[in-house]
Amino acid sequence: MKPTSSPISAFVALCLVMVPAVWAHHSQSEYDSRKKVEVEGTVSKVEWKSPHAWIHVDVINDKGEKMNWHFELPSPNTLMRRGWTRDSLKPGDRIKVTGSPARNYPDIGIATAIKDSSGKALFTGVTEVYEPEPESKGAK
Amino acid sequence: MKTNAPIKALWPAVLLLALATPAAGLAQWLGYPTPGIPRLPSGAPDLKAPAPRTPDGKPDLSGMWFANVPSRDNCRTGDCIQEERMAREQINIGTKLPGGLPYTEWSKEQMKTRRANGGREDPHTYCMPPNFPRAWTLPQYMRILQTPSEMVVLHEFNEAYREVYLDGRPLPKNPNPTWNGYSTGHWEGDTLVIETNGIRDDMWLDIQGSPVTESARVTEKLKRVNFGLMQIEIAVDDPKAYTKPWSVTIEMAVQVDTQMLGEICNDNEQDVKLYKK
Repeated sequence: MKPTSSPISAFVALCLVMVPAVWAHHSQSEYDSRKKVEVEGTVSKVEWKSPHAWIHVDVINDKGEKMNWHFELPSPNTLMRRGWTRDSLKPGDRIKVTGSPARNYPDIGIATAIKDSSGKALFTGVTEVYEPEPESKGAK
Repeated sequence: MKTNAPIKALWPAVLLLALATPAAGLAQWLGYPTPGIPRLPSGAPDLKAPAPRTPDGKPDLSGMWFANVPSRDNCRTGDCIQEERMAREQINIGTKLPGGLPYTEWSKEQMKTRRANGGREDPHTYCMPPNFPRAWTLPQYMRILQTPSEMVVLHEFNEAYREVYLDGRPLPKNPNPTWNGYSTGHWEGDTLVIETNGIRDDMWLDIQGSPVTESARVTEKLKRVNFGLMQIEIAVDDPKAYTKPWSVTIEMAVQVDTQMLGEICNDNEQDVKLYKK
């Protein structure tokens, strides 16, 4: 039987390089922007709903086990304004996803980059901004 | 040359057709050309054109608006993709104020606690309504509809609305507090001055949790600089939360050839659980 994903196609690594904080309709501090997750696998489900779209991806982890990763995206509205349609990704599509993992869940992340099976990069909406300013900047 | 005249006359129609064509492949009316707006010979909107006026001579603020944040390419991942546009004031509404917001001891503690908790108590995370003036900075589009007696702001987030009465009524006394409070507006020259009271006691002004309370009087001054740009001065006088009145000015850019896309947050909200495990 043909495997749905390559072995060792998912890993989570603590990056020494600081990944900027990301923000959307909420602070997104539920994700650890200092960590990076890279996944290659098969789309199992797309949730095209507000306030954020989600894609679910079947992957084989570094232990050779099949698992399902869940990645948060911007809102469908934001995605549509950047050229996505609700059919841009479909169950069965092979994709590569880069993102930051959730602090409290081992199989959830926020996508910061996606490439479809042709290698084309899709907009993911993550913005390099603006950590809350240091305390010293606040006035009395 | 004379023989080219009919072809030249057709150019605007050709350009409009070219603008309209992508709409066939897009969702809803994204890409459908907005009628009746000033355009350059290329067909692009003439953002520097004078601000439109209503029949009674007032500036017409009608249109779709979003924070005036330029798109930037993010080449961090090797492929250059436009980043999502985000107003800095969404994080900290006083980000451009020298010294920051003049928090009282109480409100500073509120903000510090909320920020330390990573915004997990933010009403916006819980899909509560987009409260003004914060709503100007949120990453959804707004549409202003203006009549001589009332201005209405439609907001994509939760398909919400805000009313601003222009008919001369006074602000209410002892109002029942609401998410947007009660707003009246009057014209000072070409600037629409909106006064608001009756804001709830537990509202946030930004993601880091800068408070605004029932004691607040908020004044917004809207000036459409030209067709493409509107400046909004937001002044907050809230003695419970701030040691002195303060004001910031944000910019909104008109959005054309698109439409409002409603976003019902509770449709599929999944982030709250991520904070809680």
